[in-house]
Amino acid sequence: MIALKYYISSTKNELIKLKRTFAFWLTIISGLFIPLIYFLYYSLKYKSLIPVEGVNPWDKFMVEQIRAAAPLLVPFFIVLITSLIVQIEHKSLGIKHLFALPVPKWSIYFGKLTVVLLTIITAYILFLFFILIVGYSVGLMHEELNFFSFTPNFSESIKLLFRSFIATLGIVGLQFWLSFRMRNFIIPLGIGMILIVTGLIIYRSEESLYFPYGYNMLSLFPIDKDMENLLWFPRVSIYSLLYFSGFSILGYLDIKRKNIT
Amino acid sequence: MSQLIIETENLNFSYTKERKDIENLELKVPKGSIYGFLGPNGSGKSTTIRLILNLLKKQSGNVTLFGEIFNANTRIKSLSKVGALIENPSLYGHLNALENLKIAVNYRQNIASERIEEVLEIVKLTQAKEKKVKAYSLGMKQRLGLAISLLSNPELLILDEPTNGLDPKGIIEMRTLIKELNEKYGTTIFISSHLLNEIEKVCTHVGIIRDGKMLYQDTVKSLKQSKSKNMIVELEVDSVKKTIASLEKINKKNTVLEDSFLQLEVGSKEEITFLIDLLRSENVNVYQIFIKNNLEELFLSLTEN
Repeated sequence: MIALKYYISSTKNELIKLKRTFAFWLTIISGLFIPLIYFLYYSLKYKSLIPVEGVNPWDKFMVEQIRAAAPLLVPFFIVLITSLIVQIEHKSLGIKHLFALPVPKWSIYFGKLTVVLLTIITAYILFLFFILIVGYSVGLMHEELNFFSFTPNFSESIKLLFRSFIATLGIVGLQFWLSFRMRNFIIPLGIGMILIVTGLIIYRSEESLYFPYGYNMLSLFPIDKDMENLLWFPRVSIYSLLYFSGFSILGYLDIKRKNIT
Repeated sequence: MSQLIIETENLNFSYTKERKDIENLELKVPKGSIYGFLGPNGSGKSTTIRLILNLLKKQSGNVTLFGEIFNANTRIKSLSKVGALIENPSLYGHLNALENLKIAVNYRQNIASERIEEVLEIVKLTQAKEKKVKAYSLGMKQRLGLAISLLSNPELLILDEPTNGLDPKGIIEMRTLIKELNEKYGTTIFISSHLLNEIEKVCTHVGIIRDGKMLYQDTVKSLKQSKSKNMIVELEVDSVKKTIASLEKINKKNTVLEDSFLQLEVGSKEEITFLIDLLRSENVNVYQIFIKNNLEELFLSLTEN
């Protein structure tokens, strides 16, 4: 399986390139951001947050944080991390070198895309991990919050996180293509920002089901019945995956035949 | 003629519709040669290299590497025998030299990791291998770029302006290294440069390009012979006036360059002695006389209209 070998070595190299970069730190900071705010919130305002007898405090605690990340944090993180990771290559004038190596061009493109996905998954895992740490920490500080009397409801929060992650893929495909194509990192960033804001404005309309920048909201704040039954793969997830495959393939075909100057 | 390592036929390329950047280029780089690709800035040297490596899509023509037409099917096989340093080297500034080399080793399969230390030794960067490349000087970056292109012991080494940013000592070292690689391992080396004397000192073959067109292509030896009939000499005298008068007597055309310098053409070295005798007999003091590099003249006459 020579193709697999190319793919693995390319992905491995992309991981080495992440060392000591801002992209690496951004992944950690993004995972930590909301739990940190909730740490302050719960440790300062705990009196108003004491749950009613018999209610699991984790449910509200976890779902609220996951939902808080949806409108801005997650999409901005996607746009930023994608640009940053590809920028490592542009900054070092690397693409001309990589495309003159005896390796297939697809292994370069998809190796890098894989690492973008890995950083996003890492950010999600860290997010969940920090939520738990913060929950137990505030629980330790204020026993009456009951965090130690109940166990976190993992199945629901993991399902929400999973839906949120899948919903981001449509943007990843497009942003990655744009970032790879343009040496100037401001352009994909600007386009991304504008489309995210557009997504926020229109996500309540029916048509937003076709606009990937609103998918993260749609995946967590469903607007139609089909989505309310918390499936693993609601319609928006399927569309997101379709966009992702479409943009990734188109992006690769475009980059492959592009003149590298 | 021996086997050709790089051959282009009828190569055409333009960035814009208005202008042809490469026109009917026929490049012939024989095996085992050190080929100097010479031309002023903006003449299409880097574009040609990018076309050879298929980084740019040619509009028409063929590129043949190692006797095989370069296309999607032969790309990986051909590139595995090539080491290339294209313009500014592609290096990751936030990583050190070792990490940069490690990445290059990972991409190319089948390179032993001992090779990293070897190439560092060749380009004399062993001392600086743990330093971040960001902190490297331009010359060090150039050398690291070269080290990366040497990793795979390539049969063909393509170097785009390799002495850019090197200090005089670095230039001499680069020259020695290029000759050594060629002699020891038979590596065919393709160097682009806008500096004639650099090419002249190290190359066996030369191609001169201007405005995307090949103006001259042959061995350096025959280039030198083609111009050896007439030599340009420059001389420094105490009185330009008297010299001109003496030269007029023998109908010798000349140009005054500055203050006390004159330039003229002679047919042979014997004529130089004759000139000195003549000038001395007219009481002109001759301070120095030297033969101008006629390659330079040729280069200038070829590349300027």
